[in-house]
Amino acid sequence: MPRTGWVLREVKNPETIAGHTFRLGIASWLLAEKRNFNVKRAILIALFHDLCEVYAGDITPFLYYPRLPKDKKERKKLLMKWARLSHKEKQKIGKAKFKKEKNALFKLIRSLEPSLKNELSSLWLEYGKGTLKEGKFVEQLNRIETLIQAIEYFGTKDILATTNWWEWAEEIVDDPLLLKFLKVIQNKFYRKVPGYKKQKELENILDFILEIGKLKRMPRTIWVSLGVENPETVAGHIFTVSLMAWVFGQQKKKLSMEKLLKMALCHDIPAVYTGDLITPYSKILAKDEKERRKIFQKWPRLLRKEKQRKFLKDYKKEKTVIKKLTLKLKAPLRKEIIQLFDKYKTASTPEARFLNQLNVLAVLLRALLYQKEDKNLPIDWLWEWAFEKCEDDVIFEFIEKLKKKFYKKNLIRRFILNFPRFK
Amino acid sequence: MAREKKFYLTKEGLERIKKEYKDLKILRLNKIKGERPKILHSQDLDPEYFSFQEDLNRLEFRIVELENILENVRIIKAPPKEKQNIVNLGAIVTLKEQDGRINEFMIVGTLEANPSEGKISSESPVGKALLGRKTGDEVVITSPIRVIYRIRKVKYFLG
Repeated sequence: MPRTGWVLREVKNPETIAGHTFRLGIASWLLAEKRNFNVKRAILIALFHDLCEVYAGDITPFLYYPRLPKDKKERKKLLMKWARLSHKEKQKIGKAKFKKEKNALFKLIRSLEPSLKNELSSLWLEYGKGTLKEGKFVEQLNRIETLIQAIEYFGTKDILATTNWWEWAEEIVDDPLLLKFLKVIQNKFYRKVPGYKKQKELENILDFILEIGKLKRMPRTIWVSLGVENPETVAGHIFTVSLMAWVFGQQKKKLSMEKLLKMALCHDIPAVYTGDLITPYSKILAKDEKERRKIFQKWPRLLRKEKQRKFLKDYKKEKTVIKKLTLKLKAPLRKEIIQLFDKYKTASTPEARFLNQLNVLAVLLRALLYQKEDKNLPIDWLWEWAFEKCEDDVIFEFIEKLKKKFYKKNLIRRFILNFPRFK
Repeated sequence: MAREKKFYLTKEGLERIKKEYKDLKILRLNKIKGERPKILHSQDLDPEYFSFQEDLNRLEFRIVELENILENVRIIKAPPKEKQNIVNLGAIVTLKEQDGRINEFMIVGTLEANPSEGKISSESPVGKALLGRKTGDEVVITSPIRVIYRIRKVKYFLG
């Protein structure tokens, strides 16, 4: 689902809501930690804040004009600026938007378990109403993330191109740290701010956020190789895995939810420099582009040593990259990110083992959704992969549900998937 | 000794805080008694209280936070008539842009800010730029962008 604001401004291949949420999640983590706020809560608020848009759509201030001209050119001209409204109109629109989004959210979560429903709705409301400090903080950061994206799309040469987003941020941001962060952004992209005091740590966080933003534009190799049109991006995948970590992690009381969420957010970030690797099969895919679909139909068999060798090669490469990517971050934060990634890759903690399985589940679910559009999409190998990597009962319970949902009428498929080779 | 932070609220905002404080205290009491709080069956109750039910620490934390707000609250009042043309907390400011477009904001304390509903914090860059200015003044909001407004009207509708 692309963000409406960019579509209206005719950005080519604009970021999706999932991509935006991913970067907001990371920014919430890094900055909430610096602010000594509850990081888990801040990350969750970021993950949930736009879920209502599944049904409510992405309602941007571009759409606040009470009446839009019919003429296409006139309309486009008008839509370049925010609507200016009276206090009463703002209140009316704001309340109507909130009501619409609240109803949409409750519709979306109606079938969730009560505990999940309660946590999600309460955190979403914290964001929407700004009742608690983390909600207010993420709401302000949401506008800053969008501002950064606007600067990335439109540049800084034509100052008018990003006016709306500066206005939008400056109306809301009053958190002392985020006010400083706005100055850091201004100082980096525009003329030097008079009396600007160097904010090394914030400057480095901004650089990190800009780097990982590349993942919003990076389609996942696996879907590109299979010829899927408009495939999800790496950022979109990370968002899905993070959300799954929260949903399924609730049933694993011994796991640390904060660790799980942070691990989910950084499990694929080395892709910024390495590209999206399909360990241990990347090299095999790169060799034969035309025959890729065939390769996926008959998934290559490798000896354990061969798999190990390829895994170690990718792992080493990714480890070097994550060290480079986090180089300027403060030492404890850097260490935490590197360790989380390391543990994930080597599956060396309970959280890491669980997240590895969730990662497979996220890919399988996405493949099933794509297969609904393209019946010939080869995904048997993903089932194989899932049955090789998954061991947790919670995951298997969900896999059973996937089989029933996606192969409802295809009893043969369901039978084959129950065959020993797959189980 | 460090000075306590003051929280500026409109009368309406204060009522909301008081109600939340009262509701959460009932919730805590029922939780201690081990009862499922009747409050959760209320139709108009914010679902945000639901998660407090499962997280006692958070509930305590919020109650302390609300107590701190209530102890340090300052009610936003309309200034005397001769100063009602000056932008202060609680003012609804009508602004005219250079291209003739009209914009309007209400200036509130950080606890009540909700820009989607036109209420902006006095500590935001826009709020700060407007605070203390009077009708007829030109206000330039400069970051990298430059938005020039002229203040057309300042109104106070405070109870």
